Amino acid sequence: MTDQQIIELINSSLAEEFEYQGGMTPETSLFEEMGLDSLDVVDLVIVLETAFDMKIREEEAIRSIRTLGDIHKFVIAKKRQTESA
Amino acid sequence: MDISTRRRPAITGKCNMIMALLLNLTFYPLMTLWVVLGILASPLCLLIWKLCTGWDWGRIVRHLISIHGYGLIVIVSPFVRFERCGFDTIKRPCILVVNHLSFFDSYFMAALPFHDVIFAVGAWPFKMYWYTLFMRLANYLDVENSAWDEVIRTSQETFTKKGGVLFFPEGHRSKTGKLQPFYSGAFRLSAETGVPIVPLCITGTDTMLPPGRSFLHPARVRLTALPPVDPAAFPGSSGHVQMRKEVRAQMARALAKLQGEPCQTTL
Repeated sequence: MTDQQIIELINSSLAEEFEYQGGMTPETSLFEEMGLDSLDVVDLVIVLETAFDMKIREEEAIRSIRTLGDIHKFVIAKKRQTESA
Repeated sequence: MDISTRRRPAITGKCNMIMALLLNLTFYPLMTLWVVLGILASPLCLLIWKLCTGWDWGRIVRHLISIHGYGLIVIVSPFVRFERCGFDTIKRPCILVVNHLSFFDSYFMAALPFHDVIFAVGAWPFKMYWYTLFMRLANYLDVENSAWDEVIRTSQETFTKKGGVLFFPEGHRSKTGKLQPFYSGAFRLSAETGVPIVPLCITGTDTMLPPGRSFLHPARVRLTALPPVDPAAFPGSSGHVQMRKEVRAQMARALAKLQGEPCQTTL
């Protein structure tokens, strides 16, 4: 899976889950622009775990995610780490 | 308009205020007493229940919590008219989703026709220290801090024993009385386990005790069960999203209709 495919899957999964119809750029803020809150983060983690078949809930880095770009970087890094293991 | 007609609203207003005062003066002391008595008596009650039934501890505590809630319904009953309808359509196991208007909504769940119900809630209810131990013993789900696998596993165990899992899918109490957006947990659980969703509409608890207030008001509270929604009707990887939208739309329509409709069964 290329980085671009990962980004596209993340964007489409999140847009569907949160019924978000605004623009999605790496700078898009999850909380201010997409309107997510702490309980939405629970859904967000499950969406990503399901879409990419990986466990991320216990990851410390998930707590510092603020933008869509943060998610892209996090998931790409996690995928590459899994592939090289 | 004659004088007696003009004076009627003022008299009604005074009566309502007196009733509200009486409700508050009786409810809070009795609730404190009921909670303290419950905490003190629970170890013995649990032990006797265990010896008599052999049930697992979680199931016993869930029934005990239900009795606690029922007690609070009885305490407010002189001032709060409680009605329920549609309960004959509820089949077990099921996933109950309830709109959320007031802190008191949870207590009215004691009126459900079965009591083996696990509440799936966010992290904050677990911070009510006087309830935390009981919530843990009852296997209540902290969906904010639990792994999804754990939520599925605990729910499956309850479903195999014909129990239910209850969600407030809005996550928070509505400050406007209007239905807020839904989180996905209940619908994802339904999609993954095949267990149907039973939408429950509660009205009147926002009059009784709205968010941010502690002064209770007499009210008419109604709990209405809508027909179950089968997850099989929403196939595909995004089926839970479609189901979430459909159930929310059904509840929004029912809540709008319920404002003016008579209910049938009074508790």
